[in-house]
Formats: sequence, structure tokens, C-alpha cells
Amino acid sequence: MTEITCPLCGKPNPPDRDVCQFCEAPLKTSGFIASPDDQDIFTQIPTPSSQPDESTEPGDQPESTSSLEQAIPDWLKQTEASFLQPSEPESEEPAPDHISEEIDSLLNLVPTPSDEQKPAIDDEWLASLLAEAGVGELAQETLAAEPLQEAMEAEETGEPGLTSEELSEEEGLLPPAELEKPEWLSDMEASSTIKLEGGMQPSESLHIEAPAEEKAEKKGAEQVEVPEWVGKTSFGEKPPTPKEPETPIVPAEIPGWLEALRPSREEKVSPSKPVEDISAADIVTAGPLVGLRGVISAHPSAIQARKPPTYSIKLRVTEEQHARVQMMEELLAEEQKPKPLPSKPILTYRHIIRLVVAVLLILPIVWMVVSRSQQGPSPQPSNVPGVVEFAQQVQALPAGAPVLIAFDYEPGFSGEMNPAISTVLTQLASKNAYLSLVTTTPSGPALAESLMKNVSAGALAASSAYSNYTDLGFIPGGTMGLLGLAASPRTVLPYSLDGKDVWASEPLNTISSIADFSAVIVITNDPDTARVWIEQVGPHLQTQDRPLLFITSTQAEPLIRPYYQAAPSQVQGMVAGLAGGLAYGGTVGSPGQNGLWEALSISITVSILIILIGSIVSVVFLTLASNKKKEDEERP
Amino acid sequence: MKRILPIANAIIAVASGLLVLLGYFFPGIFGGIQSILIGWAIVIAAFALLFGIFNLAMVHWKKINTEGQNNIYSIVLLISLIITIVVGIFSGPTGTWSLWLFNTFQVPVEVSLLAVLAVVLAYAGVRLLGRRPKWYTILFLATVLLVLLGSVPLFLIGEIAPLSALRSWLSQVPAVAGARGLLLGVALGTVATGIRILIGTDRPYGG
Repeated sequence: MTEITCPLCGKPNPPDRDVCQFCEAPLKTSGFIASPDDQDIFTQIPTPSSQPDESTEPGDQPESTSSLEQAIPDWLKQTEASFLQPSEPESEEPAPDHISEEIDSLLNLVPTPSDEQKPAIDDEWLASLLAEAGVGELAQETLAAEPLQEAMEAEETGEPGLTSEELSEEEGLLPPAELEKPEWLSDMEASSTIKLEGGMQPSESLHIEAPAEEKAEKKGAEQVEVPEWVGKTSFGEKPPTPKEPETPIVPAEIPGWLEALRPSREEKVSPSKPVEDISAADIVTAGPLVGLRGVISAHPSAIQARKPPTYSIKLRVTEEQHARVQMMEELLAEEQKPKPLPSKPILTYRHIIRLVVAVLLILPIVWMVVSRSQQGPSPQPSNVPGVVEFAQQVQALPAGAPVLIAFDYEPGFSGEMNPAISTVLTQLASKNAYLSLVTTTPSGPALAESLMKNVSAGALAASSAYSNYTDLGFIPGGTMGLLGLAASPRTVLPYSLDGKDVWASEPLNTISSIADFSAVIVITNDPDTARVWIEQVGPHLQTQDRPLLFITSTQAEPLIRPYYQAAPSQVQGMVAGLAGGLAYGGTVGSPGQNGLWEALSISITVSILIILIGSIVSVVFLTLASNKKKEDEERP
Repeated sequence: MKRILPIANAIIAVASGLLVLLGYFFPGIFGGIQSILIGWAIVIAAFALLFGIFNLAMVHWKKINTEGQNNIYSIVLLISLIITIVVGIFSGPTGTWSLWLFNTFQVPVEVSLLAVLAVVLAYAGVRLLGRRPKWYTILFLATVLLVLLGSVPLFLIGEIAPLSALRSWLSQVPAVAGARGLLLGVALGTVATGIRILIGTDRPYGG
């Protein structure tokens, strides 16, 4: 039996099969094999099958292979048959020769006008369409008139054209189909790289196959009406002249790898199913597919629990690298070590200077206090402002007069102020004045009581303890407290510290305001406290012309003195500091200074010397240091 | 309530301030209410002093419980406070034990502080010119020395009258001028602050 070679895979198939047993490609429905480029060319040609009528409904278009076969015209089927017929006598030849012959037959049969006329006659639908269009006769007339027209044009242009004899010779040598070969077919021939066996030219095959087509010509060559698209395609082409030699098809150069794949002519390819060699495949050892070979295991090894591989973490370093690492570690270790702070010496020159200053200040004072020496005169009352006036105000107090004394100084100023306070209290006690002690500082009551005891135990030691006084205690509120005291002392301080209602007995029962006191003596070291007393209490005292007297420190004296020196004065008397206390003592005939004034004198003298000498020495050292620094900078 | 309370506070504060201020100008009319308001303020100030003492004790108590180092001073403070309160309660503020504590601890400590201050000031005067050899440093030291020389008769020299007069002028004119200038500034600031409080612009009491 003759085998049918698959146009797609090139393998032989039994003749009774419609499709290839290897690639399932249709063997009989398609009449030729075309390359993708050629297929594009065919699809570009407006054929009846590829250009359906617009009136045709979409549902009428063939969808399956059988429907496509029904839609193929008869002439195309005959062409297919003619394509398949030549393969029978050449069945003994190898498959590539069949392909070449089939392509050759395809090239010679399909586009010739003579071949188109026969199927056009047979195809009823195409004939009817052409008859309706009326282009059949026109096509024939045009075909007949075309060579003459070209000859006339050639005579007019003077170009060497074909004469009538030459035309007749050409018509005798070549069939009409050769003259009217469409351009697309010529291009297809030129683009074909398949070498025809034996150098057979397409024209020769036309000569051979032309008698076979005479039957179709006899059926009605005159009635053949070429479709308009065929006529237009062939009219636009200049038929190849016999003088122009046909370009032989250049044998294709098949690559080596393709040649290696090409089956040899002697080898007969027997169809067989591909068999996979699974002899070397692994046998599944786990999972539901256990025991099978060549299958993908359902128990993938990727998820199998296994002990992770251990890798050595030991770094391979050379001796030189190891030495460098050790050097770096040593450097880092030294950097991380806390540097011990330089130990401070126990005694520096600053400590020594401080000790020297302290000793120089303390020793003379101690020596003066211990020796009770009196090298110079005590301060005179006339030389200290306010002392004489203060003494006059105290002397002017009547016996047993109520006097308000405010202890508003800090215990630290006791050494400076106690001499004056003691003298004043002693004088007041000698006058048997009723002393009402108040304070605006928390430590004031104790300080006042302590002073009163000292006065009783000292100046008044001869007699019994002085008890003509009352301690009214602490006045809270600062400025407001003083304002309240000035307005109503009974309201602000209703009871004494021992809990007695002193305002109900004499002499305080006659006191309703601060102006009812015979005098107000303020003992303070703070100028602000003195100012508050002057501003808040002073106006109330001025209404009754009561004196406001101050015993103050040396540091507060400059700020209080303007109130004393004012006119009218707001402060009627003032005893300031140690000098004022000693001067006041001189006015009342108090005992001696006990070396305090001399101690103050020598301490101030020493202080002046220390500051003066120390400043000179510091300047000298500074100058030397700056000169040395300049010399160091000038050195290269 | 959040709106009413601040407004009520402002009204109370402004009214109190105005009444006390009017008591200075019209003591016959507003003197009585001025005394009442001042009495209230004195009581509140006394309670504030007690509250301050309690707060001081609590702060140092927390300091003892939280901090591990340098709390010895807090311990000493609390112990001293407790002892003083106990002694004051049983002995009275002017009792024998209270005066003993006062004369034994407080007076010497404060006097010593001033004595140390004298030594420190003398040492600072020594180093001042060496650290800052400027013209104003020299002027400062010269002024200090002049005031010291004119304060007391120098040992073995006696009083230098011109220096005493110069010291008196320095302390009464430049020093008092500067101090008075400061006081005037403070007074103006106090007036402005009082006005702002009276008109309700400043509300240190909240709101």
C-alpha cells in the first residue's frame, strides 16, 4: 500500500487514515504545506473562502473540519487531489522528495489561469457570482487584449517589445497559465528555498500537467469566467518573457543540526510510542506511592526531618592575622579600662592659703578677747549717727512705760548687736519699763527670752530677775502681720507665749493700737525688715508722736540712716553695729567693751593686709606666669 | 462649675485687695474691714508656715526612703525637727530646754557661718585680682579697702579721719543711691503687679 506522508511531521501514514497517527494533523483536508510566511501570503489574497460574503451570517461560517471541507470549492478539491496523486508513483522515494514535489505541484497548479477557469466553471456558486457581476467575458477580453496593448505601448515608447511573431511563438511554447502566473505565485516561487529535485523548473511541470488539465478546458474554456480578483491579480503582473531565464531555485542550506535530525533515506521510520527509560529512576520508598519507580514521590525529601549539617565555625586565620587580632584586642582592652583620676593632694596651696587667712584672722581676735586689752579709745557717741538721739528717747521714757521691742534679727548677728541690745535693755530695765517682746522671725522669741535672761543675770544681777515684760511671740504674715499689729495688736497677738491674756491687765489694758506704746524699738539686721517697720508701723506712731527707734547691724545702717536723717525723720534714734553699741554704752555708763572693739580693729586691719598683700602677690605670680607663657610661645 | 469657680476667685481677690487698699485712704470707713481681712491673712500665713514645715518633713522622709546615698542630712534634719518639736511642746517655746537648744546649737552655728564667711571673703579678695586682673576688679578691691580702712581705727594706727569721711560718703551716697534705685524699681513693679491683680489680669490664685 502507498503511505501518506504527513505534511506536518513528515512521517508516513497508512492511506486509510484521515489524520496523522503521530501528530493528529489532517492528511486529506489540507492539500499543501506552507510555511508561515506563505500562509500569510495566502491569507492576504482575497479568496472566496477567506473573504466571505457580507450577507452570510456568522452562524453559517464553518467551524469544524467537516464543515470546512464542505465549504471548499470543487476546483480546490481537485487541486488537492492532483496534489495527492503524484505522490503515489513516488511512494518509494523518501519523504523529503515527496514534500518537494508536492510543493512544486502546488506552485504550478494553484495560480494558473487555466486551472482557475476549470474550477470556476465547476464551482456553481462562484460562477453565479461572476455571472451576476458580469466580469467573466470582460476578463477574457482583457486577457486577450493585454498582450496587444503592451506591444502597442512598447512601439510608442520605442522600447524593444515583443513582435506579433514573438507573441505567437510565446503562445505556442508556453501555456496561457504560464503567461498569466500571478505575482504572488511568482514571489512565492522566488521565496521558496526548497531545491527542486533534478533542477526541474516550474514551467516544465506546467508542460507536463497541462495536458492533464485539458479535460477541464474542454468542459468549457470559453465559459470559464475568472473571478475578478484573479483577473486583477494577473492583469497587474507582467508575464515573464521566454527570453528572461527563469531564476533557478537556489538549493537551501540546511544547518548541520537540522541535517543530523533529518532521517536518512534508507532508514524507515517506524511509528512507535515514545518510551521513557525509567530503569535509572529511583524507587519511591515512602508515602502512598511506595514501591513505584519513576514517579514523583508524595513524600518530598525537602520536608523530611533530618539533622542539620554542622559546619565548623572555626575561622582559619594565619599567624600574622592572629597577631594583629591580639594587638587589636589589647588596644581595645586598654581603652575600656577606666583611667584612674589623678589623686587630689590633701593639702594644696589653696588650702594652705585658706588656713593662713583663717589663722591670721582668728588669732588676733582671740588674743584681744582673752587679754581684754584696750589699746585705743572706744567710739564716741558724737561720732556715731543716731546714738545720742536714741539715748535721749530712752531717757525720755517715763517709768513703767509700755515699750514694744521687736527682735527681728538673726542669731548670727548676736556678736555684733548684743552689746547694744544688752545696754538698751539694761537702761530700759533701770527705768522699769514694761517690755512687750514681739518678733517677725521664728527664732525671735527664743532670742528675746535668752537676752532678757542674760540681762537679768548680768546687769541686773544685784537685784531679782527682771519680770516686767511679756513675750507676745511670733507675728506671722510678714508685712501683713506688721500692718495688723499696727492697727490692732490685741487682735494679732491676743495671748503671750505662756498663754496669759496680757491685754486684760496693766499696763497693756490701755493699749488699743501700736501708737499707745510709749516707744517702739526694732532690733534687726535686715534693711528690708526695717523698711517694712518704717512703712507700715511708722505712720501709726507718727500720729501720736511716738518714737520709732532702731538697733541695727552695720550692714543695714546705710539704708536706715536716710529715714533717720529725713525731715521730719521717720526714725527718731538709731544704734548701728558694734560701734553704735559701744558708743551708746558710753552714754549710759555701761561697763567696758571687754576687748571687742580692739578685736574688731585688729581683725579688720589684718583683713586689709591680707587682701592687699595677697592681691600684690597674685599680680606678681600672674605676671610671671604670663611672661613664662610668652617665652614658651616664642620658643620654636 | 469650672467657669463659676475662677470667676468667684477673681471677684474675692479683687474685692479683698480693693478693700485693703481703700483702708489706707479711708481708714474711718474701711479700717474695720481692712483689719478683719488682714487678720484672716495672718491666720492663713501662720497655717501656711505649719504646712511648709510638714511639707519639708515629708520631702525628706521620701528622700530617706528612696535614695540610698546622701540621705544622712535628711535623717539629721528629721531627727532635729522631731526633737525640737517635742522639747517645744513639753518645755514651751521659751522654756529652759528650748533655750538650751537654741543657745547651744542654733546661735553658734549661725555665728560660725558668718565667721567662715569673713574668712572666705578675705580669701576671695586675695585671689580676685589674680584671676580677673581687670580695671573694675581693681576698682572693686580699692573700694573694699577704703571702706574697711574707714570703718574702724586701725590697729596701732588709730582712726584716719579722711578715710572715715570717705567711707561715710561711699556708704551713704553711691551705695544708698544704688540700693534706693533698686527699691524704687521694686516698688514700681509691685504697684504694677498690684494693679494687674486688682483688675484681674494676673490671677496667681488660679483661674
